[in-house]
Amino acid sequence: MMKRLKKIIQTWTLLELFQGLAVTGRYLFRRKFTLNYPEEKAPQSTRFRGLHALRRYEDGEERCIACKLCEAVCPAMAITIEAAPRDEDAPAENGAGRSSNYGNRRTTRYDIDLFKCIFCGYCQEACPVDAIVETRIYEYSFESRQGSIITKEELLKIGDNNEAQLAADLAVDGEYR
Amino acid sequence: MDNNNSLTIQVNDIELQVEPGQTLIEVADANGIEIPRFCYHKKLSTSANCRMCLVEVEKAPKMMPACATPVMDGMKAWTKSPKAIAAQKSVMEFLLINHPLDCPVCDQGGECDLQEIAMGYGAGTARYSEKKRIVKDKDYGSLVSTEMTRCIHCTRCVRFGTEIAGITEIGGTGRGDHMEIGTYVQKSLSSELSGNIIDLCPVGALLSKPFLYSARSWELKSLPSIAPHDAVGSHIQVQVRNGEVMRVIPRENESLNEIWISDRDRFSYLGLNSADRMTQPMMRNDVGKLVTCDWQQALEATVKGLKAAGAESGALASPSATVEELYLLQKLMRGLGSSSIDCRLGQQDFSGQQNQPAPQLNSTLESVEQQNAVLIVGANLRHEQPLLAHRVRKAALAGAAVSSVNPAQVNFNYDLSTTVETDQLTPALAAVAKAMVALGKGSDLDGLTALVANAAVDESHQAIAQSLIDGEQVMVLIGGLVYRDANQAVLYALADAIAQMSGATLSVVTEGANALGGALVGAASTAGKNVAEMIAEPPKAVLLMGIEAKDLSSTDAIRKTDFVVAMAAFSDGLNDLQADIVLPMAAFTETSGTLVNMEGSWQSFQGVVAPKGEARPGWKILRVLGTLANLDGFDLDTSEEVLAEAKTATESAAQAGGWSAPSSLGSDQTTVSIGHAIYAVDPLVRRSEALQQSHLGQQKGEIA
Repeated sequence: MMKRLKKIIQTWTLLELFQGLAVTGRYLFRRKFTLNYPEEKAPQSTRFRGLHALRRYEDGEERCIACKLCEAVCPAMAITIEAAPRDEDAPAENGAGRSSNYGNRRTTRYDIDLFKCIFCGYCQEACPVDAIVETRIYEYSFESRQGSIITKEELLKIGDNNEAQLAADLAVDGEYR
Repeated sequence: MDNNNSLTIQVNDIELQVEPGQTLIEVADANGIEIPRFCYHKKLSTSANCRMCLVEVEKAPKMMPACATPVMDGMKAWTKSPKAIAAQKSVMEFLLINHPLDCPVCDQGGECDLQEIAMGYGAGTARYSEKKRIVKDKDYGSLVSTEMTRCIHCTRCVRFGTEIAGITEIGGTGRGDHMEIGTYVQKSLSSELSGNIIDLCPVGALLSKPFLYSARSWELKSLPSIAPHDAVGSHIQVQVRNGEVMRVIPRENESLNEIWISDRDRFSYLGLNSADRMTQPMMRNDVGKLVTCDWQQALEATVKGLKAAGAESGALASPSATVEELYLLQKLMRGLGSSSIDCRLGQQDFSGQQNQPAPQLNSTLESVEQQNAVLIVGANLRHEQPLLAHRVRKAALAGAAVSSVNPAQVNFNYDLSTTVETDQLTPALAAVAKAMVALGKGSDLDGLTALVANAAVDESHQAIAQSLIDGEQVMVLIGGLVYRDANQAVLYALADAIAQMSGATLSVVTEGANALGGALVGAASTAGKNVAEMIAEPPKAVLLMGIEAKDLSSTDAIRKTDFVVAMAAFSDGLNDLQADIVLPMAAFTETSGTLVNMEGSWQSFQGVVAPKGEARPGWKILRVLGTLANLDGFDLDTSEEVLAEAKTATESAAQAGGWSAPSSLGSDQTTVSIGHAIYAVDPLVRRSEALQQSHLGQQKGEIA
């Protein structure tokens, strides 16, 4: 009997509705969580995993030694590498040729397919020379299907443009690795 | 092992029956017990210098190296006891003191013994903080690249050079921290088996130079195949990445190549990507220029030309072509009414061909090692058949009396009991036969005594004759130089007589990977024109398969022939032949097929990569030619069907033979031609740049 009376009162006073609206009302006057993107941007961790980059040493030499560990570890098979010895003493135009059997181990091709990539960061973890890294960049677009594949030249350029940030982030993270 | 002599030992508390004389590591390997090792190798002598295989043995105060500890009755050994593990870990730490941490740039990474064993026995961190040693790299030539800082001084390469290759080229100089492996006097490796040290090296100190940095072991797909450059028929693995052959490594086969392969088989794949690879059919146009065309045009023109010549056509094929190709080629030619088909390219003298069975070893490669006496006649074995030479060397080291009748340029990597160095094989061989007759042999061979009556015998001939008669298991081995001799018929008959008089096996090994297969399927026809006749006076239409100008002694007549069709994988070698039509043929690794080795075993293999461009496997080209020519029996769908048919055809190939005395010894003036240089035997090898730049590759051309 009491149960039925309680239900009738609840139904006709819209009690539960007002309880719900009270939550809404409280949040209406609280500090906002949302950001006015793109004017405002969220803070990023030093370990943020965005667009990839290939880094260089201070003397301008590319770090990547074509060990292919990133290619092997990549769970999405997004990385394609081809390697050949590069003769450092030979003129630039034939420097990367296979004709010379001497020289350093270097890539002749380093492609990442961003459609395949799942941004797990394993490539960065596998890299013995900190060459392939994931930057804080997350704003990019492609205008063609081909555009999703970024080449070695593009990766090196991204690295060059962001070297200061990348070096700082790696330095912070260094003691945990 | 029910042998009464067998001993009982315990390894890791498991009771094992073993033979006396075995070492602990052999027992462990046979029973699947893992013991880490670097310097021990089952095909090399024991040096016990890496100390990685230390195990605990009961009653021994210190750890014992398993590779150098012979088993004893009642012995108890533990490979995984705390003491053994501690010893192995300490050795590993010592080895890693000077080994650089450059696995990411090292080609051995991923297939490295040191890497694997370090994962199992190495410590996670290094306690060593002093200076690491750095060793200057050595230049070993165009095949083997070096990174000597990585060397752990296991001396496998040193022992390989001394014991297997038979040339002591590599050695250790200095001692302790100053020890270096090298050639002492800077030089490139000159062994025909030098590539095997790449496989033997347990670290990345010795690597394949042509393969350097081009792929990782985990990216490669390993597919089995058969080596196509000599009649050993070595088992190989072709390693492929993205449809491209990246390298060739040996596949273990104790009865043929053991675990070795010759450099020719290992590095010939480099020729596959030669700039002059044929990728499209070509035909001569109205103004006589060779231009590309489509398959239909080329095939129709070929059939038209061949049919016009009919019985007046002929074919020459490489002795390294597959059974399927050779079988269909002879079937096509016979269908057109011609018996002029030959694959015995270097041969000049065919007068004895009725008495000569197909060239084969008449023995197994393994039993070559058991011979007591071997006479090598006209065979530059180390160049012609490197791994057969290795077997003969093993026999010689085991005490066999190996003697040679050869030109002076032919060298051996072991001591011969007797050598006759001559450019004229016939008188020398006749002298050996005469010496045998003088020892009371050969009375049943009619006409032999008269034939060799005038031969000049000296002590060396007598010594050879005596060694052959004394030996229990004896072999007379005649090689490619005999076949290139203008007096081949007499030489063969004399060798046959010597073999019969001494109860020896007559072993015949000629050029090419499939000379025996060619002879068995009828591609070395005894009826129509032979090679020498076709070169001198070609038929109206000539079909060339897998050969180019350098394979023929002369091209003057063939280039003037009305109609020349070349099935070839490479174009440059055809310039001298004035081919009217060129049909691009798939090269080695691109076609399935079968090769018959010198033992007579038929070994089939599959194609591992797709043919380049529009090239097609030779047997498919021949099948279509046969069909277009309206000949019967060319509706074969697979190479297996062709093989099955070829096999039934060989049964009728009668075994010729039997002694019949040649009328005379012929001219004494015929000097022997040394044949092709080791890296000039076929079109593919000639295009392998690394081989051409190597020490042996620099010995170009024919030494007449």
